[in-house]
Amino acid sequence: MKPFAKRISRALLAAAAVLAVAGSAVAEPVTIRFGFAQVGVGNRQFGSGNTAAILHSRDILAEEFRNDPDVKLDWSFFKGAGPAVNEAIANGQLDFALQGDLPSLVGRSNGLKTRILAASGLRSNLYLAVTPKSGIQSIADLKGRKVAQFRGTNLQLATDKLLAAHGLTERDIKFINMDFATATAALATGDIDAAFGQADYLALDGQGVARVVYSTRGDDPAFTRHSHLLVTEAFEKAHPDVTYRVVKALVKAAAWASDEANREAVFEEWAKSGIPAETFRADFDGQALGYRNSPLIDDFLVAAYQDQAERAKGYRLVRGDVRIDGWFEPAYVDRAVAELGLAGTWKRYDANGHQQTAAK
Amino acid sequence: MTNLELSRAAHESALIAGNGRLDFPVETDPKPIGALLRPALRPALCVVEALAFPLALFGLWTLSSRLGWLPVQILPTPEQVAATLADLAGSGDLWFHTSISLLRVVQGFALGGTAGLLLGIAMGLSPRVRRTVEPLFTALAQVPPLGWIPVLMLLVGIDEGLKLLIIAKAALVPVALNTQKGIRNVPDSLREVGAVLAFGRWATLTRIVLPAAVPSVFTGVRYGLTSAWLALVAVELLASSEGLGYLMVWGRQLFQLDMVIAAMLVVGLVGFALDWTLSRVERRLQRWELAGS
Repeated sequence: MKPFAKRISRALLAAAAVLAVAGSAVAEPVTIRFGFAQVGVGNRQFGSGNTAAILHSRDILAEEFRNDPDVKLDWSFFKGAGPAVNEAIANGQLDFALQGDLPSLVGRSNGLKTRILAASGLRSNLYLAVTPKSGIQSIADLKGRKVAQFRGTNLQLATDKLLAAHGLTERDIKFINMDFATATAALATGDIDAAFGQADYLALDGQGVARVVYSTRGDDPAFTRHSHLLVTEAFEKAHPDVTYRVVKALVKAAAWASDEANREAVFEEWAKSGIPAETFRADFDGQALGYRNSPLIDDFLVAAYQDQAERAKGYRLVRGDVRIDGWFEPAYVDRAVAELGLAGTWKRYDANGHQQTAAK
Repeated sequence: MTNLELSRAAHESALIAGNGRLDFPVETDPKPIGALLRPALRPALCVVEALAFPLALFGLWTLSSRLGWLPVQILPTPEQVAATLADLAGSGDLWFHTSISLLRVVQGFALGGTAGLLLGIAMGLSPRVRRTVEPLFTALAQVPPLGWIPVLMLLVGIDEGLKLLIIAKAALVPVALNTQKGIRNVPDSLREVGAVLAFGRWATLTRIVLPAAVPSVFTGVRYGLTSAWLALVAVELLASSEGLGYLMVWGRQLFQLDMVIAAMLVVGLVGFALDWTLSRVERRLQRWELAGS
């Protein structure tokens, strides 16, 4: 054999050997690009308050692909939250996203090709913080006041629903678009009268910077928000195996985060984002972890998104109807729950939010 | 003799004296192509020339959306933008936001323009004011309007006050600079005429210096208004619950880039209309100045 041919055959042999080793898992190098519609305090690269944050911070996903050197994980945290994640998806920069209900509906209404694979955080609360001097006591007092809102996030939809329940619309209030960090600063300086936000406002209340006068805790669960893991249709089609393993890892994270024995550990894990653990303690007070951290795509979740889609259209946050059919793909999460022997860990709820008695 | 006649007379004498150079840009004919065509065709040609580039850009946009060079979520099609514009106009939202933006510019410009005029006059007339104020003024003028926002936010909050101050600042600088220049460029011979007529300070100012400075002042007004408009959109993007900049924020947050582009078009058109109108007036003023000579 000529040296050149020899070299080629040797190279082919080596390649075959590599393929034989890796063949069992993932055949070609792939980078999984995750987008988080969240960022920690002071730009800390951590999410919080959902199981996706656990998936990331406890390296559960990294563990899943530990023996696959060809699989690389790339996490991005977006200060611009859901709207920014949509832009990144449209630009083909993300494969998976951990995003809230409204932004995903907005993305879908604009033709982003995605599939919802699992819930990553259910029934998240909405908080209304007001400056001490504003004198605002209730939702009704917001009329005509200057209020911060992070537009396009799932908080906007929750806010609009809440306002509607009090006979108000966005037009009755002077809403100013601000991201969470800006709104917190504006509350402290008194530039705004109030802000709709998340559990971290509890800390502001503790410091006397602002007062939390309302939260969805104990109110109608319909005012709460949901978030989920979604994948682009293109990635799911190209890598169904990788997609399944990502969902499986999320289910593992959800199982850990739903175990009451880990209650404090879960809050401490989320505190890596810079939001103190006691905030989550208060936010989850009186609620089972599994009630909020279930990954299941049940009738409740699909119906909730259907409702969100209709309301979003009503509030003119999306144009036209958003088709919910075919958007959710429960096969992965159901398979993972069965394979991991986690059946019965989470309760299934029907479209009306009632617990389903017959175990599926 | 009215002020006007006086100023013309002064101009003539200045020209005769040979030391009164006219600083104003004088219209020149576009000879190369224009000469070949009958004068009647010239305006049409101008329009064609002016439209060539926008049309090419529009063609590129259409082509891009047909061939899918960019995701339609990022660059919507012209049809989408047109439909959004029609929708916004039909619902009254467009006029609502545009009128609010215009009102802010008018208010901010009134504030900044007046301050700029007074400052420009002071710097133009008094060497002492110029020596003490000009270096600082020049330095501060270099800080772009957006650079002022963090500090001003702390001082006045994020309300209308902030918007007015940013717009006023944007308008102040060109008005002050051009007013000062206009006054300093008033030919000495004109002042000498005043001296001959035994004008006092006030009469010299109101009858000689200011009328002669009008074209330059007006150039400042024109640039001031343009930069006020630019600053307005920037500041509305930041913290606002209405106005064209707000419309852009809304569009971006709810992933309706067609609304962003629609708002951009309106901003561009309004800005163009403002500048075009003022440039017409400006040309009139210059012609009127030259007519006497």
